[in-house]
Amino acid sequence: MGFGDRGGSRGGRGGFGGDRGGRGGGRGGFGGDRGGRGGGRGGFGGDRGGRGGGRGGFGGRGGVAKRGGPGARGGRGGARGGARGGAKVTVEPHRHEGIFVAHGKEDYLLTKNLVPGESVYGEKRISIEGADGAKVEYRVWNPFRSKVAAGVLGGVDNIHIAPGKKVLYLGAASGTTVSHVADIVGPEGLVYAVEFSHRSGRDLINMAKKRTNVIPIIEDARHPHKYRMLVGMVDVIFADVAQPDQSRIIGINAHHFLKNNGHIVISIKANCIDSTVDAATVFAGEIPKLQEQRIKPQEQLTLEPFERDHALVVGKYVRSK
Amino acid sequence: MLVLYETPAGYALFTLLDDGKLEKPDSIWKDFETPEQANKTVKLRAFTKFENTTDALSAVTALVEGKLAKNLKEFLSKEISEKEMKKESLIVGDAKLGGAIAKKLNMKVLSDSTTLDLYRGIRSQLDSLLSGLSSSDLSAMVLGLSHSLSRYKLKFSPDKVDTMIVQAIALLDDLDKELNTYSMRVKEWYGWHFPEMTKLIVDNLAYAKIVKKMGFRANCSTSDLADILPEELEQELKEASEISMGTEIADEDLENIHALCDQIISITEYRTQLYEYLKNRMNAIAPNLTALVGDLVGARLIAHAGSLMTLAKHPASTIQILGAEKALFRALKTKHDTPKYGLIYHASLIGQAGPKMKGKIARMVATKAALSIRVDALGETDTPDIGIENRGKVEARLRMLEGHGGKPSGADRKAAGNAKGQKKHEFVASSSYNTSTDATMTSPPSEKKRKADSDNEESSKKVKKEKKEKKDKKDKEPAVEEKKEKKEKKEKKEKKDKKDKKEKK
Repeated sequence: MGFGDRGGSRGGRGGFGGDRGGRGGGRGGFGGDRGGRGGGRGGFGGDRGGRGGGRGGFGGRGGVAKRGGPGARGGRGGARGGARGGAKVTVEPHRHEGIFVAHGKEDYLLTKNLVPGESVYGEKRISIEGADGAKVEYRVWNPFRSKVAAGVLGGVDNIHIAPGKKVLYLGAASGTTVSHVADIVGPEGLVYAVEFSHRSGRDLINMAKKRTNVIPIIEDARHPHKYRMLVGMVDVIFADVAQPDQSRIIGINAHHFLKNNGHIVISIKANCIDSTVDAATVFAGEIPKLQEQRIKPQEQLTLEPFERDHALVVGKYVRSK
Repeated sequence: MLVLYETPAGYALFTLLDDGKLEKPDSIWKDFETPEQANKTVKLRAFTKFENTTDALSAVTALVEGKLAKNLKEFLSKEISEKEMKKESLIVGDAKLGGAIAKKLNMKVLSDSTTLDLYRGIRSQLDSLLSGLSSSDLSAMVLGLSHSLSRYKLKFSPDKVDTMIVQAIALLDDLDKELNTYSMRVKEWYGWHFPEMTKLIVDNLAYAKIVKKMGFRANCSTSDLADILPEELEQELKEASEISMGTEIADEDLENIHALCDQIISITEYRTQLYEYLKNRMNAIAPNLTALVGDLVGARLIAHAGSLMTLAKHPASTIQILGAEKALFRALKTKHDTPKYGLIYHASLIGQAGPKMKGKIARMVATKAALSIRVDALGETDTPDIGIENRGKVEARLRMLEGHGGKPSGADRKAAGNAKGQKKHEFVASSSYNTSTDATMTSPPSEKKRKADSDNEESSKKVKKEKKEKKDKKDKEPAVEEKKEKKEKKEKKEKKDKKDKKEKK
């Protein structure tokens, strides 16, 4: 994979983001960490602060040596140049269907933009001319802002979200990840995005206006019967609800809407379930709770270095044999 | 048996052909594996389309709330004859809606978990079961309905009144912060011209007003500051202005300082106005909470919980430490004592209490606050009766505890008697201390006296005798005192040990 040079930096990520807010919050620590890496870059990393995650992409920055003359590039300009350098960037399909990887000066994870010409949350877009001369636009998918992307980069065996699939997305928040999931499933697929908070629901609805394969639902995921008339049977449930009883929430939603032998993909934030014990214990404790809900866990991986004390669990819903 | 199934396009009524299937919910899925099998299991009996999106919206909002919408009632009573209603039973997906149907239409309703698999089956084969409706129609309806439903939810958000309080208190905090930085800036800036004034005028608003009024320090003696300052302070300021060691500044500099002063004055005015607004809002929304803890603390509690309703759902123990989450989780992680108070600390009731009593009073205020909030959020009355009553109770308890002198001896009501006993005990202890100091004071002069009185033998003998007696006393007294001291030390040690043990627990 093109993200090889990332590996070297993982060890050094210790001090990363002690006080990151919920999501999308203070990504600041990320930029600072960068500075430490490419020895010669000195002061550069520090002033990337703020939204460093949003702009910088992720992988390819490690290749400073190839680039040379680091002093010439200021914080933001550098990021931008990487995206616009259309001629040099090549896009290849990722192992997971519907996801793409850009190789250029920097490596990015991409999804094919369903609404060409528009960004959802200020992410970068890359236009590539295909073989037949038609332009295809991709959007950069930042693993620091999306747990699905972090899972994909972390090497999850099967993400189960693919073109044509129907996805129930619990905990959609402002719809940043939902927009990428909608890109992946394409016009044939469907994403039911459930979010309870009115504040972030506003942004979700605005995003869904442009993407007709997203069904926004402003409702508590604890009460699936309240949206029973809107949701059909789905292939996958993705949940990022960060609640102490999230296994139960996922279970009741699966009972209502998930096909037999359908899959669940959950992101578990250890701190939200029990902050007094260490993360591994929390993750281990969630497995039997899922099994209780007839979910057979298949895979678990940690989202380091993108998220701290998070795990992505993939499971299969076996209602009847 | 009949099955009610709601789709975004309209209501559907199915007939379950074999009632026995419900008894084996685990195998129902087999009957829905293919469209043919599904059509053998259930049959569409009737379907009514929503006329338009507004119709659909009102129907679905009623469904979400578990109410029987008008068009659903019409649909059911039209499709099911009265005779059938008595005989047949209806399967409904939502227990609350089922209850409403059973009550209004007087028919048997089944809406428990056994129907879940049946609904899963219908949902999976919906396209083939609803023959008259194309799937593209259905998906268009889903999309339209979900958007209008979400917009409706946001538009008629129940927390909108609380949001005003949440925003107002946040703005109040922001304004305070801003005012402080601006005032510091103006003092720093104008301080170059008139450094003595910073010390004399502490109040930020008064400072800004004076700067605005007099301009250059030279004008101080001629300008009338009577409406801003008390007379003595004005005099002092005028004296200071004449011997000031500040630098001179230009007109242009002063202009900018004046602009800053205008900002401070207008923000301060707006702050008082905003505070008034917040106070009125709090009195209207949460009168009991306001009566108990005051408007600012009350508003902060609401803001922290997100809305009055969520705050009402919190237990008293949570309310007590709301705002001290960081300390709480740190304590839980390191297995130390959890914090005693959070935001509630700023309530005047807790401010009144002594340092040892604060935790106890915080606990009581939190319990009473929990009750008051629930009355505010869910009660019918909008008078602050319970809040005032609770405040009185906490105050009485506080007085009682203070009367005890810090000894928390349970629910003993004879506070006054105990307090006297405590005082007496202290008095005895201090008197014994005095005698010892007296003894050390008398000893050096007595020796001098001996030398002075050597010629006067007779008198000296008497004196000696007296001294012997005194010496004896002295010898005895220290011994007694030592014992006392030892005792006291022992007691102290025991107390310390107990405390340590408690802390360890």
